[in-house]
Amino acid sequence: MSRHLPSICAGLVLLLMWQLAHLSFGLSGLPGPMAAFAALPELISDADALYDIGQSLQRMAAGYLLAAAFGISFGLLMGTSPLAERLLNPLIMMIYPIPKAALMPILMIWLGIGDMSKILVIFLGSSLPIIYHSWQGGRSVSQIVVWSAAAMGMNRAQRLFRIVLPAALPEIFIGLRTGLILALITMVVSEIVARSNGIGNLLFNSMDMALYDRMFAAIIIIAAMGYALDLIFEAIRRRFLRWSDQQDQIQVAVG
Amino acid sequence: MIAIEHLSKRFKTAAGKDHLALSDINLELQSGEFVSIIGPSGCGKSTLLYMIGGFVPASDGKILIDGRPVTGPGPDRGPVFQEFALFAWKTVLQNIAYGLRLQGKSKPEAEERARVLLRMVGLERFANFYPKELSGGMKQRVAIARTLAYNPEILLMDEPFGALDAHTRTHLQRDLLRIWEEHRKTVLFVTHSVEEAVYLSDRVIVMAAGPGRIARIIPIELERPRQRSELMFDRRYQEYITEIEGMIDAFEAAAA
Repeated sequence: MSRHLPSICAGLVLLLMWQLAHLSFGLSGLPGPMAAFAALPELISDADALYDIGQSLQRMAAGYLLAAAFGISFGLLMGTSPLAERLLNPLIMMIYPIPKAALMPILMIWLGIGDMSKILVIFLGSSLPIIYHSWQGGRSVSQIVVWSAAAMGMNRAQRLFRIVLPAALPEIFIGLRTGLILALITMVVSEIVARSNGIGNLLFNSMDMALYDRMFAAIIIIAAMGYALDLIFEAIRRRFLRWSDQQDQIQVAVG
Repeated sequence: MIAIEHLSKRFKTAAGKDHLALSDINLELQSGEFVSIIGPSGCGKSTLLYMIGGFVPASDGKILIDGRPVTGPGPDRGPVFQEFALFAWKTVLQNIAYGLRLQGKSKPEAEERARVLLRMVGLERFANFYPKELSGGMKQRVAIARTLAYNPEILLMDEPFGALDAHTRTHLQRDLLRIWEEHRKTVLFVTHSVEEAVYLSDRVIVMAAGPGRIARIIPIELERPRQRSELMFDRRYQEYITEIEGMIDAFEAAAA
């Protein structure tokens, strides 16, 4: 209980500020927390809304898993091959500061407003931190650990998958966690830019129809999704990294 | 038998200059011999060890093991490093069994042999611990057991006890000697401690720096099995230590 106390307090303070803002500004576009939470059950029991949430999660999962597979391989390649590092590092540094959602219009021209363009932008949005941390993880693997494996008779490919990959895992997980949050953000933005379905679309439709209670309820759902995904992620990470010193400390930088 | 002929190693420094780390090393090691290498930092003693291990390529000359040239790492030469180099994501037992699994042994078979080795280094109670849960001395015991598990003919030990406190070091030296008396592997042992080198070795190789080279080879003619407590009062032991320390001081003064 005492472990959760700070989170509960923070939540209460947030709700209190929201309520105060609602009372003092009196805007129709700013309903109070009670009204927003009251709109939640209706939204969650609405088949269309559930379909939207399902669509969002599917695209996010597709984009994120692609980014994880690609980012880890690409990053470890850079981390273990000085040649790959020299060639790819400038490319990564150039792509890094571009907000990936800004590419959405181009992707829509090429791929339409369906799933493909959204999955691709989620992939782009979440892959860079995964590449970066896998790269750093790969290059910081101790030389003598790799030598110890080589002396046992492991070839290069075995060393990459059975030594470098697990040794880099604590660092890779930092990238995966940042990537997860970025995937959520890019997912919502992609649905706001290219509206067909999804939770972002639901949010903006509610705004268009001036259903502000429902709009805030959608935001609560997005926040809850992010929180739940992060909790699941942390449980998985702790399970994978029982052996690691770093298992209890992880910092997330969302850029 | 290890035969090293006209071996040298050149590095490119960060400034792009050629640096001769080892120059014309010639050395022969008999099977079952315990040989220590000692010398000032920068004399290339660890580099020599890594080249025998096949981890670092030679620039010139060759290394022959039972007549076959070294072209890369192999399970006939087992390294033990100062920083342990354990697989942190594997338990103690899995670390030791790993090499055997790679040689195609079944899991129960590999684990059974791993348990025998674990008992030999006195850690049977820690089979299911992760390396992070062990002290430095325990980690090094695991590392030694892991290397012995795949039964290399040659042990290449790079300051294996250098990071341990004096008490633990004494214990591990004694245990290493006991294991060596039993299995008689060829051991090449890099160290900074003259006392350690004399206590353990059949021969002590003294290296000098700039460029790294073998300066002297001193046979240690003390009877085995050796007891540290008895050696302490042995004049010959004291004389070896004084002689070698004097040599190293002289080389360092000449280089400075």
